[in-house]
Amino acid sequence: MPQGKLCNRQPINTDEQLKLTLSDKSGKQYYAEMQELDVDTNALWATIQKTMKSRIKTWLEICAHCGMCADSCFLYQVNDCVPEQVPSYKIQSTLGHIVKKKGQVDNEFMRKCMKIAWSQCTCCNRCGMYCPHGIDMGVMFSYLRGLLYSQGFVPWELKIGSGMHRVYRAQMDVTTEDWVETCEWMAEETEEEWPGLTIPVDKQDAEIMYTCNAREPKHYPEDLAEAAVLFHVAGTNWTVPSEGWEQTSLSMFAGDWECCKDNVNHVYDAIERLNPARVTGTECGHAHRATVIEGPYWAGRKDGLPPKPYIHYVEWLAEALREGKLKIDPAKRIKEPVTLQDSCNYVRNQGLKDVTREILSYIVEPGYFVEMAPNKEHNYCCGGGGGFNGIGLYREQRNVALRKKMDQILDTGCKLVIAPCHNCWDAIRDLEEEYEIGIRWSFLKPLIIGMLDIPEGMRVEW
Amino acid sequence: MFKKILLATTGSPASFGAARVAFDMAKRYDSEVTIFHVVGVPTKAFSHVVNDVRTGEEVEIDEEYLSWVEEELKTTFAKQFEGADNAKIVLTTGVPAREILREARKADSDLVVMAASSGENASFHKGYPGSTLQKVAKAARCPVLSIHRESASYWGGFSNILFGTDFSKQAESAFKFALSTARELDCDLTIFHALDISGKVLDQNEIEENLIAARKRIRATYVPLMGDFKNYDIEVWEGTPYVEIVKLAREKSVDLICLAHHTNELDPERARIGSTVEQVILRANCPVVSVSKPDKV
Ligand code: SF4
Ligand code: SF4
Ligand code: SF4
Repeated sequence: MPQGKLCNRQPINTDEQLKLTLSDKSGKQYYAEMQELDVDTNALWATIQKTMKSRIKTWLEICAHCGMCADSCFLYQVNDCVPEQVPSYKIQSTLGHIVKKKGQVDNEFMRKCMKIAWSQCTCCNRCGMYCPHGIDMGVMFSYLRGLLYSQGFVPWELKIGSGMHRVYRAQMDVTTEDWVETCEWMAEETEEEWPGLTIPVDKQDAEIMYTCNAREPKHYPEDLAEAAVLFHVAGTNWTVPSEGWEQTSLSMFAGDWECCKDNVNHVYDAIERLNPARVTGTECGHAHRATVIEGPYWAGRKDGLPPKPYIHYVEWLAEALREGKLKIDPAKRIKEPVTLQDSCNYVRNQGLKDVTREILSYIVEPGYFVEMAPNKEHNYCCGGGGGFNGIGLYREQRNVALRKKMDQILDTGCKLVIAPCHNCWDAIRDLEEEYEIGIRWSFLKPLIIGMLDIPEGMRVEW
Repeated sequence: MFKKILLATTGSPASFGAARVAFDMAKRYDSEVTIFHVVGVPTKAFSHVVNDVRTGEEVEIDEEYLSWVEEELKTTFAKQFEGADNAKIVLTTGVPAREILREARKADSDLVVMAASSGENASFHKGYPGSTLQKVAKAARCPVLSIHRESASYWGGFSNILFGTDFSKQAESAFKFALSTARELDCDLTIFHALDISGKVLDQNEIEENLIAARKRIRATYVPLMGDFKNYDIEVWEGTPYVEIVKLAREKSVDLICLAHHTNELDPERARIGSTVEQVILRANCPVVSVSKPDKV
């Protein structure tokens, strides 16, 4: 069969198509259509020739099949060390095969590739650190996902996710009006307790422009209120853009390259329009990777940098604490064993490992912070990265993947986990739901607000 | 007085008392009732699956599921719907407290009515509805009426209102609401302060002095605001505030308790423990209305 009504090679570009795809329960029809979807092998090969850069070609060729990457992959570890989960095997048997065949592969093969690409690799880039040749499956799988997406072989939720970005320029149906309205609402709700607090929209030349994750205005607007409180207490001249506020990129997980570029340009346009001194985003790992680490390349920026210095939330927070703009009341510091989830996306991918620990040094009573083992750039994926958390079809595999993090947390003996990344936070929440190990988890914002030493008169006592 | 009533319900038996009060008021005041139900709590990841608020099961929200839920609610509230021309059902997904607040703001509701507990509390989402009530009561612009017991009185049959004050800023709004309700319904109003001596060591003289001071303070603060309203009395007792409020309410056969809700606690689980309002709701035999904002009083 040629292309289906829901499962096809066209990205979702209209609200109608988005709603139609959404209304397909669990993607039943979508996956049924996928069984019949033709592979446009010529287009596939043409795309490879056009887009496959020398780095990936070389990697495919020089892999020595030594297997040293095997143990580096948490999915290999939690899946009884089966050979199918060895990173080099995973990529050679998918991307490697497509390239060898010059794109002449069939539907069944593409579906197998989809399963491997989205349920056997979270693009956490850990293996890349252990391969003697520096071969990184995370990078290669991202590339493979792009090929699969262009042929319509992408999990239903991610097709919708990138469709959301295309239609609403946000991962959820939050319109500009919804967003601005939410900012007003949260300012209203918060200013009584924090007199003078505002959430300024579209202010020119601010010190900081703030971007977030569409989940927040949609379901958890208090996250925005909490960011506002901390900016307010720190005396920051800040703003949010009315457009270009959504920093996440499900299109990156989906492999929708065109949409990735569009997303990031939208944020960069806001930066150029408002001209802030710097930009920071919410506590999210993949949003940072998309907008700050990979984004500049998608946008074709020669310097590899966003238009203005763009720091992760943990960097802003550490700075505010370091400079005394936010003060912690020592009596309120955490006095129970607490551990930290290092997000692959800004720790392994950008080296922000010490700055999070600096924050902990201010907010945790000495002696109570327990490192996971391994940690920092060696830490394992939370188990739900790369889109894994959201894909219903692979829920079972995702639940198995959570076990690594569960063991790591159990080994620390801590009941409290700090996770300054939306997706890690989700995965840890799901892990508690699934395995009930009796833990709590938190972003940094609410923890810090609860510990602040607030200047006289700044907060109205209730 | 109450043109728009938002009945936030889980549809479970624990919310029937709340529904009765809401519909009863609607008939009396010719108000519009919105039966508002949050169907499920979305996972924080970007999946389309939500946990059903009542069963905790994972469900996928689509037209079919929503119309099923709507039918079920219609059956549940069939009796109330009879003769209520101005009632509608609104379903949504999200975090319950947030969505209730969102709807109340959007619809400019005059009163939120909700049950104090959902009965069979699904363990998947701890704190619903206790923390839901906390959050709604704290942030809502309008009074929030909570009904814990099925036996709770109906609105309209009120004759005794108890207003408990801790002299906070929020209590001013609660007082205004209590006063205008007492006026409107021609009730007796008791203005009450409980001198909090829990965990303190005070000698009897000190207590007596403080009681006198509190009485004076009530006179100075509230009496000038009452104009020609005469059906009031003032009580000041010592003890643990929520215990004293509940005791006094029993003694005087109070049928509505009016309090201000305020807490600084971010963590709703911890806020619950300290909250007088929550304790009163759980223990009192009558509806409790919490008012923390001046907007709708
Ligand atoms: S460690 Fe590197 S070279 Fe060895 S099998 Fe893995 S990817 Fe290939
Ligand atoms: S990127 Fe991560 S999940 Fe993927 S193969 Fe490497 S270690 Fe495994
Ligand atoms: S969700 Fe967090 S831990 Fe998991 S891959 Fe992403 S950044 Fe890493």
